[in-house]
Amino acid sequence: MNGGIAKKTLTHIGISLVLLLNILPLLIALSSSFRSVSNMTNPLQLFSEFSLESYRVAYDKMHFMQALGNSLMLTVISVIVVVLFTSMAAYPIARINNRLSKALYLFFLCGLVVPSQMVIIPIVQTIQGLHIPSSQFTPILMFITCSIPFSSFLYTGFIKSSIPIEVEESALIDGAGLMRRFWQIVFPLLLPVTVSVVITQGVWIWNDYFFNMIFISRAAESPLPLAMLGFMGDQTNPTAWNVLFAACFLCALPLLVMFAFLQKYFIGGLTVGSVKG
Amino acid sequence: MNSAVLKKTMYWFVVPALTMYLVFWIYPILRLFQYSFSDYNGFIQNFNYIGFDNFSQIFKDGVAGTSLSNTLIYTLVFVVFSNLIALGLAFLLNMKIRATGLYRTAAYVPTLFSAIVVGFIWSYVYMPDSGLIATVLSWFGVDGASLNLLGNYSSALYAITAVDVWKHIGTSTVIFLAGLQTVPVDLEEAGRIDGASSWQVTRFIRLPLLATSMTINVTLSLINGLKAFDYSFIMTNGGPGRATSTLLFEIFRMAFREMQYGKASALAVVSFIVIIAITIFFVLRLNKREVSA
Repeated sequence: MNGGIAKKTLTHIGISLVLLLNILPLLIALSSSFRSVSNMTNPLQLFSEFSLESYRVAYDKMHFMQALGNSLMLTVISVIVVVLFTSMAAYPIARINNRLSKALYLFFLCGLVVPSQMVIIPIVQTIQGLHIPSSQFTPILMFITCSIPFSSFLYTGFIKSSIPIEVEESALIDGAGLMRRFWQIVFPLLLPVTVSVVITQGVWIWNDYFFNMIFISRAAESPLPLAMLGFMGDQTNPTAWNVLFAACFLCALPLLVMFAFLQKYFIGGLTVGSVKG
Repeated sequence: MNSAVLKKTMYWFVVPALTMYLVFWIYPILRLFQYSFSDYNGFIQNFNYIGFDNFSQIFKDGVAGTSLSNTLIYTLVFVVFSNLIALGLAFLLNMKIRATGLYRTAAYVPTLFSAIVVGFIWSYVYMPDSGLIATVLSWFGVDGASLNLLGNYSSALYAITAVDVWKHIGTSTVIFLAGLQTVPVDLEEAGRIDGASSWQVTRFIRLPLLATSMTINVTLSLINGLKAFDYSFIMTNGGPGRATSTLLFEIFRMAFREMQYGKASALAVVSFIVIIAITIFFVLRLNKREVSA
């Protein structure tokens, strides 16, 4: 039996080493962020000082509360619209089995491979052509559009595999119309995949800086990742590292807190669409 | 199929999503083709059509070739390493030991950080002189100060790819782990009873049943790799020279820094064709190889 225990200990040590190496850059950045602004000892001396001075400077420089509010607004509005629009779109595509459905399914899916940086010029032109003002809300349009392919793919797969048509037939006999059947019967059953859509799309929208950078020009309207762009250049200046790293963790903090509480959903949400295939 | 539930009116439900998708995604893609044949610069609306001039220019001055080969190298390295490392990690984390939840969290956390934050932190890691790698090397008596991974022509592209691999591993690992957990235990046991070594169980039972998660992971990483933009933008600005200039970074640079919308659109059309061709080729091939339990 001794051999078994030794083997297990070795496995633990092996895994710990690999993963420690994996999160080492984050640990070093975290430890530096707890230093006072002028503390220039090597970042590799981990957790040698605990000061919140760098955080205070970073907090002011990125207007944290304002940026957090902007991020929340952008992400919440986008995700709600994505859930409503794509669950609706997936419903007929999954239910009706004909050429049109198949074509629509593939048509949406194709959007997945087109990167947004590639079409950004005509997108800007289109938005200007429609006389949509370039404001804080403009990125939302693109967040929603770019989320359509993957979300409708997840919803379609889930309705096909897990929501039998029989659940609707009894409601139909009771005289429920299309709207009521979808919103009161089908939509609640979609909860697992809705969680998955909220998490996968919410994380990228929260972290995206590209569309924000293109459409938002006023500092007061910047969400967190865009506020981080204000630190551009500091990464090659060792004297600015403590504040830069504090800003990095302030930027990541909201998602890390969410993850700490909803870990199960984050991990599960990734695999809803994948295990079934 | 002939259920009374099904009515053509259901298709009205597609309209909101389809409208947005057509207006803000498909229509711009079509405009891209139009711009690529013009001398449009973003300001003057009455532009001229100049035929294939933009295309011949981007190929003549080598921009298209360089950024294309950079993107393909980036994608190849990214797909191979992110999947191999994630697969290894998933096998480790699938063992019946304690604290796998904690380990899984440690593997997953980097995926939560914004690319811009990841770019900043890794710029520190690669920094010559006082950065992480330079400092560790100097402990072992190696001169780390002269090692400038991001500033060197031959290493910069691999250095930024490694950052993307690091950020992506958590996602792939979780998907592989979910795939491994669907491998029926009795199938593994049957294999062992038949005298298969643990390597043989892995090779002939687990790996074939992982085909679905493999397809998903390879497809996702392929799409992700071809979209490479973030770390060229944040960490190297495409440099040194054009060493880390990927297709998307080059399009962005031409359009927003040089105001050459026509040329940028031509490069975007080239990227579009390359990305679509590669994705279709791999997705079709991978789907053929899947087996089910």
